[in-house]
Amino acid sequence: MVNLNGVKPKNGRNYYIALGLEGSANKLGIGVIKQPLLDSTLTGDNSHDCHTEILANIRDTYVTPPGEGFLPRDTARHHKNWCVRLIKKALAEAKIENPSIDIDVICFTQGPGMGAPLHSVVIAARTCSLIWDVPLIGVNHCVGHIEMGREITKAVNPVVLYVSGGNTQVIAYSENRYRIFGETLDIAIGNCLDRFARTLKIPNIPFPGYNIEQMAKKAQHKDNLVLLPYTVKGMDLSMSGILAFIDGLAKDLFKKNKKNKFLFDSKTGEQLITVEDLCFALQENLFAMLVEITERAMAHVNSNQVLIVGGVGSNLRLQEMMGQMCADRANGKVHATDERFCIDNGVMIAQAGLLQYRMGDVITDLADTVVTQKFRTDEVYVSWRE
Amino acid sequence: MSKLITGTYSSPDIPNKTFQVNCNDAKYLTTNGKTTGSSEYVLKAGQIDRDRPSGPRRLPDGQLTYLSQLRCNLTGIQDDINEFLTERMQIAKSKKTKLTDTKEEARINDEINHLLDGGDDDTEETDTV
Repeated sequence: MVNLNGVKPKNGRNYYIALGLEGSANKLGIGVIKQPLLDSTLTGDNSHDCHTEILANIRDTYVTPPGEGFLPRDTARHHKNWCVRLIKKALAEAKIENPSIDIDVICFTQGPGMGAPLHSVVIAARTCSLIWDVPLIGVNHCVGHIEMGREITKAVNPVVLYVSGGNTQVIAYSENRYRIFGETLDIAIGNCLDRFARTLKIPNIPFPGYNIEQMAKKAQHKDNLVLLPYTVKGMDLSMSGILAFIDGLAKDLFKKNKKNKFLFDSKTGEQLITVEDLCFALQENLFAMLVEITERAMAHVNSNQVLIVGGVGSNLRLQEMMGQMCADRANGKVHATDERFCIDNGVMIAQAGLLQYRMGDVITDLADTVVTQKFRTDEVYVSWRE
Repeated sequence: MSKLITGTYSSPDIPNKTFQVNCNDAKYLTTNGKTTGSSEYVLKAGQIDRDRPSGPRRLPDGQLTYLSQLRCNLTGIQDDINEFLTERMQIAKSKKTKLTDTKEEARINDEINHLLDGGDDDTEETDTV
């Protein structure tokens, strides 16, 4: 029996307020949420339906010039210098006048992610906790994505496809853990797309994957798909080889290497495919691999729902392909969110952190707030689910 | 007047190095540090730095607020520490290269001598540390 009302809100209020701080990669997100104290959360498995109200969801992204990735040092500097300004803005937007009275808990990303940026944000979290005398909760970034996705879409027990710049995992819940059924063996899907965007030197605004998606829409030879390696390994997948292969094709295209018979007609020398065709092929190939392992996970756990979370989850083509697969299954349904909740944000950290807090999990010693680059999804004990 | 921040560093060869704030020096009165800016590499790649820290805040009488003063002092002392540690790293690095150079030379010489001595027979090789 799960009782989410065990820890009461502060000062006899009938609602909780949580502040969430996220900064595991190049996005700095600050979110403020409010959850009412409900009878429905007293017993039963209702952690996906907490009637969360979003009071503020602010994000600032560290953007680099085309062709460049984000380096830990400069990303950490961005977070460090923007964190206080963003927290102030978020509190003003949420109309929180006195944080030490109004906020129940401060939630921060404890990992996984890039060490230096995580560190910048946790320092802000610790400082706020000490100044306002508000308890702290460390949140697993992946669990944050899952819980936000469940709350927004109201999916009860979906197979989760978590696809972002740093992670690619197929996850299903079982016995108080989010268990990983399949994952990448090397680079994450978002990393594969971002790095290809770097090779193409396309802008990083709003984010590289979005620009690849737009280019893919303009592909002229969709019926003549460029063949790329298809590397599903059991329930896992590998993407570094695909990236190396398509990077090679793009470079040959830029150099006009007519010897490459994939790209140029060997007799006439006519160019057969465009950069847009490469973007299209890369998306189709990678997403097909994801759909395959997701479908297999659904069959394993006998589920008919998929929840797509993570930055790449905002890709409409991925949602469409997943939808086609689900349409072929009995009562199959895809749940996805838009960029406000898919892409890293502070609200999701607040959501997962507040669930933890309501179950009585709270940090009492600052030594337990140390952030970590490696923090697997299945390390978290999910006490808020049956 | 509140207490000024200080820093201490100790290692076997430097038992006690202290870093102190000098309130008359301009570098302890700014939030823009010398070593806490964007990476040179990123700037060369065409990055426009929009992530600078906000400037210090002053009271109506022109005095820095307590937190602003702390931020400024920290920026200065951070620069001092960064410069000191970078220098230490350079020294350690040059020592290490020298050491590995001589080690590598000795290893090659050993190998040549070993071969010249006709040591390429079936004697069992043992690992030496």
